[in-house]
Formats: sequence, structure tokens, C-alpha cells
Amino acid sequence: MRRGIRSLALAAAITGVTLIVGSASFMASAQPVPVPSAGVKIDNFSFGPAQITIPAGTTVTWTNRDDIPHTVVSDDKLFKSNALDTDDKFSYTFAKPGTYPYFCSLHPKMTGKVVVQ
Amino acid sequence: MARGGLFDPRTALLAKHAQHVVLIHFPIALFIAGVAFDLVGRWRKRRLLAEAAYYNLLAAAWSTLPAFATGLLAWQFELDGQKLKGVLLLHLMLACASSAMIWLVWWEHFRARRRGEALPGRSVIIEWVGVGIVALTGHLGGFLSGVNGPG
Repeated sequence: MRRGIRSLALAAAITGVTLIVGSASFMASAQPVPVPSAGVKIDNFSFGPAQITIPAGTTVTWTNRDDIPHTVVSDDKLFKSNALDTDDKFSYTFAKPGTYPYFCSLHPKMTGKVVVQ
Repeated sequence: MARGGLFDPRTALLAKHAQHVVLIHFPIALFIAGVAFDLVGRWRKRRLLAEAAYYNLLAAAWSTLPAFATGLLAWQFELDGQKLKGVLLLHLMLACASSAMIWLVWWEHFRARRRGEALPGRSVIIEWVGVGIVALTGHLGGFLSGVNGPG
């Protein structure tokens, strides 16, 4: 009788440990995969780097380091930021491969390009 | 003729916001010239300079209208009318103040001419304040348009 209880307790302990380890590994696998990112600095009336090449799925973040406002607008209006004051940021995730030229709508001479592979 | 060429009229007429940075020079130049004519006219007591000042100020006041309208259009076209902040908001506020000052200075001259009276002494102060606000607005506009940037 006592042996039966002991066996039952051992089985319950093993099951519990298995459940805990299993759920922990499931939760770990359910965590989102980190998205690759890239940065473009806006300074002195230019985008730097003016052209970047990134894999599909990358999020590009533009940061305005200039002391006047700028915008980030793609030529085909796929993405368009608000006016970015100093230290403001704008991000866009490029899901599909292609070439995405963009400019600052306040200063159209400022241009850049994102190449997504 | 290729679109975007230097002498393509479509470049000037259809460039949405480009007119503002062109037209804004008229009220600025006419107003400052008007004030200069007025001050020199008072100093030298020249009636002809006072007349020149009046018509410069009149033209300056009317030219604020297209300049202001194209500025608002630039806001709508290029920034989708988004809520302004920072330098853009300051530029808009100073532009409103500048327009009001230009019209006020013209009104002082208009009223004095209609009544056949000399301009009140305070009008010199108003003119100088007006020139200061217009200069500050233009300074910010220069930064926003990128004329102070490279290239």
C-alpha cells in the first residue's frame, strides 16, 4: 500500500516537472523573433547614409539630428512621416524586396534610397 | 520642354508649395522699403518719399494675402495639415503677427492721409516693431526653406 502511494507521488512529481519544463520551453519558443533594424541619420540637410541595403522585414528608423524640421516621404507615398523636430524619430518596416526612393517634402533636394533584398 | 526645367512654367505654377518661398519676398521687401521711405521722408521732410512709402506699404499689405494663402497651402499639401510644433508653429505665429503689423502700419498711413493729418509719433515705433517681427519671421522661413543649408 505504502509502495503504491510512493509510486503515485513519484509519478505526479515527474508529470509536474515535465509540465513545467514543457510550458517553459513553449513560452520561450512563442516569444517574437527580434526584427532586424537599421538607422538613417538626418543631419545638415542630408540623409546619412543616403542609400542603405537591407534584408526584407527590416525596420528602418530615421532620426532627425538637424536643428530644423524634416520629413521622410517615399516617392510613391508608401510611407510618409510627420514633420520631425530635432531628435524625433520615424520608423517603417520594409516587408517586400524592392527599391524605395524617398525625400524630405520640406526640402525636396534631400533624397535617399532604401534597397530591400 | 522637360518638366522641372528652369523655364518650364509648370515648375512655378504646379509646384504646390514653391510659390510661397517666391511670393513671400514681395511683402518683406515692399514693407521694409516702405518703412525706409517713410523714415527718410520724415527726416528730410520730403513729401514725395512719404508718397512712395504709402504706396509701398499698400502693395506690401495686399501682397501678404497670396503669401499667407500659399503658406497655408504648403502646410496642407506638404504636411497634410498636421498639428504644427516647434519652428513650424513659431513661423506660422510670427507670420500672422507680421501680416497684422504690415496691415496696421498701412492703416496708420491711410488714416493720416484721409484726415490730412501728420502721422502720429507712435507710428515710428509700430513700424520698427513691424520690421523686427517681419525679419524674425523671414529668418525662420529661411531656415525652414533650406536656404541656410548646404547646396
